[in-house]
Amino acid sequence: MGQYYLVYLELRNGAIAKSSIDVWNRFQELAACIDDRMYGFAAGPAAEGAFDVLQGNGTIYHAAGSRSGSASDVAVCAMLEELACRHGVTGIALASTAMGRRLAPLLSGRLRAALLSGCREFGGPDEACSRFIHSGSVIASYMPASAITVFLQGRELVSPDFCAAERPQIEVFDAAPYLDAGIDVLFRPVMHSSQGRDIAEASVIVAGGRGMGSPEAFGLLEELAALFGGSVGASRSAVDEGWRPHGEQIGQTGKRVAPDLYIACGISGALQHLAGIAAARIVVAVNSDPDAPIFGAADYGIVGDVRIVLPELIAAVRDLLTKK
Amino acid sequence: MRIVVCICQVPDIASVVTVVDGRIDLSRLSWVMNPYDEYAVEEAVRLKELLPGSEVTVMTATEESGRDLLRKALAMGADRAFELLSSSLEDSFQIASVLSGAIRERYADALPDLVLCGRESFDHQNAAVPAMLAGMLGIAFTGPVTAISASGEIVEFERETESGIECLQAAYPLVVSAEKGLNIPRKTGIRQVMEARKKPIETISVSQPPASLLRLQGVVPVSAEKNCRFAINARELAGLLLRDGCIPKGEE
Repeated sequence: MGQYYLVYLELRNGAIAKSSIDVWNRFQELAACIDDRMYGFAAGPAAEGAFDVLQGNGTIYHAAGSRSGSASDVAVCAMLEELACRHGVTGIALASTAMGRRLAPLLSGRLRAALLSGCREFGGPDEACSRFIHSGSVIASYMPASAITVFLQGRELVSPDFCAAERPQIEVFDAAPYLDAGIDVLFRPVMHSSQGRDIAEASVIVAGGRGMGSPEAFGLLEELAALFGGSVGASRSAVDEGWRPHGEQIGQTGKRVAPDLYIACGISGALQHLAGIAAARIVVAVNSDPDAPIFGAADYGIVGDVRIVLPELIAAVRDLLTKK
Repeated sequence: MRIVVCICQVPDIASVVTVVDGRIDLSRLSWVMNPYDEYAVEEAVRLKELLPGSEVTVMTATEESGRDLLRKALAMGADRAFELLSSSLEDSFQIASVLSGAIRERYADALPDLVLCGRESFDHQNAAVPAMLAGMLGIAFTGPVTAISASGEIVEFERETESGIECLQAAYPLVVSAEKGLNIPRKTGIRQVMEARKKPIETISVSQPPASLLRLQGVVPVSAEKNCRFAINARELAGLLLRDGCIPKGEE
């Protein structure tokens, strides 16, 4: 029997989130067998041609009438459940965004479906998934044992390259019956502030710690991150000093990140911090203390004062970027 | 307001988790209240202090004794505690099932107004139990939240999204998970610890929780130790990053 997959496609400002496209592509690759089927679901207003970025076979249901994003997780869950039941779906996949991280366990609880998250390798909803536990000191593998599996895909998995000539079919989904479901409490957005990229989604992160010395010194990190198209992160001590917002904190009590490149500047490398970067691919450390534990977790290091090394590194990277 | 806080204990970050004979060896660890759960307990006690007539009940689903953990929450100001002894707690689903079963049983007439949990446990880091519990109880979930302000009828909270801080309103009942930054948990002194001894802890034995949905296949220890190559200057480092494909190709 074939696998039927349903991918939740998150709309942000009318466009499908990049991380949702990655999930769609991964499941298109998995759904290579003739009996496999692909479905997608998106809720909220979509810009003209928003779905053109999706390749491959399948049907995408679009509930344009429902309010987007934070409107109501319960309503989105109910619509995903309806589609999962209608088509006999065996795997529901979501990107690990703030919303995905709320929806996936909610769905799992309602459908009694196994939840796989943080997987480093993934062969399909009926295969074992391995992930870090205990602050990155152990890798455990789990086998799902339920009719439906809910899969939350984070940056621990490398984005697949998927190309196909076909385009999915778009169908309108009527959200009206789900919007005023009995238990659907009203989440009224009151305020929406600031912006910037979530570090959990960044492919390059330049992070600073107490060794940066001042909040102003983070300007150097902004500059370096911009060269890579990356984001700025911070250690707990830098956040506790009030130099950076909590949303940028990396580590045990902050975010766990999985960038391709992580540059730690003036971060000593406490266990709590290392727990947050276990899934990072290449780690670079800049620190004035040659015995700082961060060097033990780094691929490359420079011993030196960040205020001297960083301007040099910015210049060197800029040179390479502009070289013909 | 009737508040339930779900808490658990985790190995202290300083203690080293080892793998012995293909299993995680938890015998030599020291255990503490999951730090995110401390934010949840603290917030519940603050709400109680704010809204007269409120009651804070703490629950833990555990395979072994959870009384020390519960006493700590009682010392912080919770009113009563339930130790849910389960024969098996292998995945988030089983934990959420045991908690939802106990909540439904204790609150048969009407669900509690607010169920507070920590964002995630430090050990398994799935961040799944809070929302799963909401799904099982058939009520809404929000989290992780960095601020809560509640009245008797409505609750406002803030949470982080990809595009910044979102401020929202919701009606009860609701499951909320606590993020760092929500509050600074209080320290407890001898007096609070003594008072906590007089508060009731009830044990409920769950002999047959629903089967787990994830089967553990195996564990392997990981060494975070890498072989660091020291560059003599920034230029050499940039070259190494270019070699590894970390620097986008130069523009024409």
